[in-house]
Amino acid sequence: MLEQMTEESISNGFVQNPIAGSNPPLAKKKRNLPGTPGKYIYTFYSSKLYSLKAYRFPISFSERFIMIIRWVYSKLFRFITKLPCVFHMTIWVLSDPEAEVIALSPKTLMATNRFLCEICGKGFQRDQNLQLHRRGHNLPWKLKQRTTKEARKRVYVCPEKSCVHHHPSRALGDLTGIKKHFCRKHGEKKWKCEKCSKRYAVQSDWKAHSKTCGTREYKCDCGTLFSRRDSFITHRAFCDALAEETARVNAASNMHSLATSNINYHLMGNPLGPGMAQHFSSIFKPISSNDETLDQTRRGLSLWMGQASQGHDAIGKSLQEIHQFGSVNSGSIYSDPLVSTSNAPASDYPLNWVFGNKVSSCNAEEITSTSLPLNNVKENGPQLVSVPSLFSTQHHSHQTPSANMSATALLQKAAQIGATSTDTSFLGSFATKCSSSQVQDGNKYSGLYGSNTPATTLGSDLENSANDISTLNQLQMYPAKRRHTQNEDSTGGQTRDFLGVGVQAICHPSSINGWI
Amino acid sequence: MKLSSAKVPKESKGASPIDGHNYSLHSKRRSGRTTLPVQAAEQWSVAVDMHNTNSIQPQNSHTSTSRSSDSGEPCATGNKWASRLLRECARAISDKDSTKIHHLLWMLNELASPYGDCDQKLASYFLQALFCKATESGQRCYRTLTSVAEKSHSFDSARKLILKFQEVSPWTTFGHVAANGAILEALDGEAKLHIIDISNTLCTQWPTLLEALATRNDETPHLKLTVVVTANIVRSVMKEIRQRMEKFARLMGVPFEFNVISGPNHLGELTKEALGVLEDEAVAVNCIGALRRVAVEERGAVIQMFQSLGPKVVTVVEEEADFSSTRYDFVTCFEECLRFYTLYFEMLEESFAPTSNEKLMLERECSRSIVRVLACDEGEDSTAGECERREKGSQWSDRLKEAFSPVGFSDDVVDDVKALLKRYRAGWALAQPHQDETGLYLTWKDEAVVWASAWKP
Repeated sequence: MLEQMTEESISNGFVQNPIAGSNPPLAKKKRNLPGTPGKYIYTFYSSKLYSLKAYRFPISFSERFIMIIRWVYSKLFRFITKLPCVFHMTIWVLSDPEAEVIALSPKTLMATNRFLCEICGKGFQRDQNLQLHRRGHNLPWKLKQRTTKEARKRVYVCPEKSCVHHHPSRALGDLTGIKKHFCRKHGEKKWKCEKCSKRYAVQSDWKAHSKTCGTREYKCDCGTLFSRRDSFITHRAFCDALAEETARVNAASNMHSLATSNINYHLMGNPLGPGMAQHFSSIFKPISSNDETLDQTRRGLSLWMGQASQGHDAIGKSLQEIHQFGSVNSGSIYSDPLVSTSNAPASDYPLNWVFGNKVSSCNAEEITSTSLPLNNVKENGPQLVSVPSLFSTQHHSHQTPSANMSATALLQKAAQIGATSTDTSFLGSFATKCSSSQVQDGNKYSGLYGSNTPATTLGSDLENSANDISTLNQLQMYPAKRRHTQNEDSTGGQTRDFLGVGVQAICHPSSINGWI
Repeated sequence: MKLSSAKVPKESKGASPIDGHNYSLHSKRRSGRTTLPVQAAEQWSVAVDMHNTNSIQPQNSHTSTSRSSDSGEPCATGNKWASRLLRECARAISDKDSTKIHHLLWMLNELASPYGDCDQKLASYFLQALFCKATESGQRCYRTLTSVAEKSHSFDSARKLILKFQEVSPWTTFGHVAANGAILEALDGEAKLHIIDISNTLCTQWPTLLEALATRNDETPHLKLTVVVTANIVRSVMKEIRQRMEKFARLMGVPFEFNVISGPNHLGELTKEALGVLEDEAVAVNCIGALRRVAVEERGAVIQMFQSLGPKVVTVVEEEADFSSTRYDFVTCFEECLRFYTLYFEMLEESFAPTSNEKLMLERECSRSIVRVLACDEGEDSTAGECERREKGSQWSDRLKEAFSPVGFSDDVVDDVKALLKRYRAGWALAQPHQDETGLYLTWKDEAVVWASAWKP
């Protein structure tokens, strides 16, 4: 009876422990079939149980009890490994008393020939190599056998006391592994890569590295590929892609502190800083007097596209300057990104447009020379609501839009979105509203702009011819994609229609074409 | 300066008949790669020499030199005419021989072009300086050039320029790698670092240092970087640079603080308090291409100032040329200038693509330097930081030895530099100095061009 109960209890306890070929009472209970993937316990213990089963039948109560205890401990061990290590030793010993914890001295670890042939005394790095060698000695069968001692599982600890792997619980199972670890962490780095002067303590690491050194390409967020790590790092530090993240974060913090120049600021978007103000002033002041301004505006806008924001006041001031200079400047800004091939990616289209839109609307406030009133933009408000929702998943740092700022917040979001993604539908929706008005503006701007181009104040041929070269270079260097879309006819799709109108209108003056 | 000249007979004085056509003397500047027949150039120099020796009347000398050839005959060995003519002109200027000055300048004007080959470019920029020297308008010319440069200068252009230059040539990166290595080694184990960067490198040296700090050490130290800007052009872009550097340091996970000092005109006036040096910080002074901008008389004071900051290491990187010991001797100074800038222009020519905008901008920067050194008198210093009189490594060493003792670069750093040089085109090498000298020299075709050194108190 007792046995029956015990068996039942054991079988219940072992219901997850697959035991094959057990005695009939156990076989009635549910259990995993042999051969099915069992748990850790299975592989660990079943061999013992199998062996027990093979030799003794049935298993006595005491043995089963021990098995239960072991099993329970093994379960607990996994749980308890998270506890402080003072328990580890005990638990581990209990869980696997068979395993041998070996702490080799540093000298032994570093030694290359740990395995010695007892016959000829030759040393080998690996046990398998030694066995192969021993076969060559034509030993009688008995001596060929390995001692049972070898069958035990060995784990190794690092002899270095300060190391994590010094504790038996963090021992490594492989001798080669512990040797490499010791060399890497605590050894002298004797191997050195020639190309990049990186140092290694383990020869295999060094070999592996020299295979890939120089072949690895680093890719920046902006898309440029580098083969050299140092030039990649330097580029990354100054890349615009880096600045855009800052821009978004800063915009979030700056949103609430803006006053009247909100719209201007927001529409010009995040990537403006005090440095920009200077650039703007430098761009706009000489615009009526210098061919070089084309370069500057180009540069200024590409700067403006991708830079972090600070000091919106400066932006407001620069916009005042814009107003003073009149529509000429906005025309130049307008034409500049579209005519030239600035290195801003195509994703800047919406930003350009938005900026141009807003600048002209600013002008409308002061100069009333454009036909693009602010309310036009405000009408787009509801449309903008939908757009940010489309992209809301893309942006993590969203400012909390206050009620006052809803339109401006949305416009700013639109600018952000525009800066990071190209969505022609977004553009198109604006295009339908504004294209007609833009045509007029474009024409007017082009006329004004065209009249200003030939003037130069700098008498030196040097500068002018340099400009030619620089425009030439920029045209050569910059992706053709942008030019392609710029040069397309205005009868294209909505996006292109809008931009095409602007481009065509402004591109018509031969003076600009003559430049290019 | 166009001299009028009558149509001339075929025979020039004392020279064999030149196969010349009568060309208009008002030829416009040529762009492109027209080269001159060597013979024609040589005839001129021969004619000029004849003129010198025979002291012929001006009329004749005019005739002999009016054979400007506009033909675009390609010539394989059409080089070195520029240096000859320029030297002649310099000599003439120092001799104050106005007629000779006139026609040499005129000749150079005909032949020179900032868009031609190396010789033509050299001729063009040195011509500008010589002209200013001859007409005593150096200061004005320099100011015009700098204001033009400042107007067309922006963060984007500066960044593109310097990054491209660093990509094609180790001229600047050599100094950066050596200095970073020395700084990292000297400040190893310190928890708070303060680097005082007196340079105009737009902080392109520091990303790699930040990366090394982040990855090399187990505990990343706190880094404070104080940049002292000496060139006006750089000041306007420092705000941008501040943002980028701070962001990058955040990315790297290095606690970082960034300050820019652009106030003081004279470096010698800086103090510990002005720079914000705290007691518990380990200070390193990094001086790249900035000591040469200090007026020659003040350089000792500046070095004393460095010493007063109590740094653990001072790294000095300068270009290897001597314009300061010869500053009272125009011709020798000119020769040295010519030698150095010939090297530089050739280096640019070989490193960049032929139609590179960046190369042009760098050459223009050189032209400003050349004008400054050759045509501006010492006493007219209005703003400090414009001196541009370089000194050789040995000269700087002599100055620095008064306050510091030299530190050799460790083998690791030397290996790093060698690995760096391997990544560039052939022609660059590392030279370690002779017995008494310290530092490392970067050599271009076996000519030392940049000198890097490290000093400790």
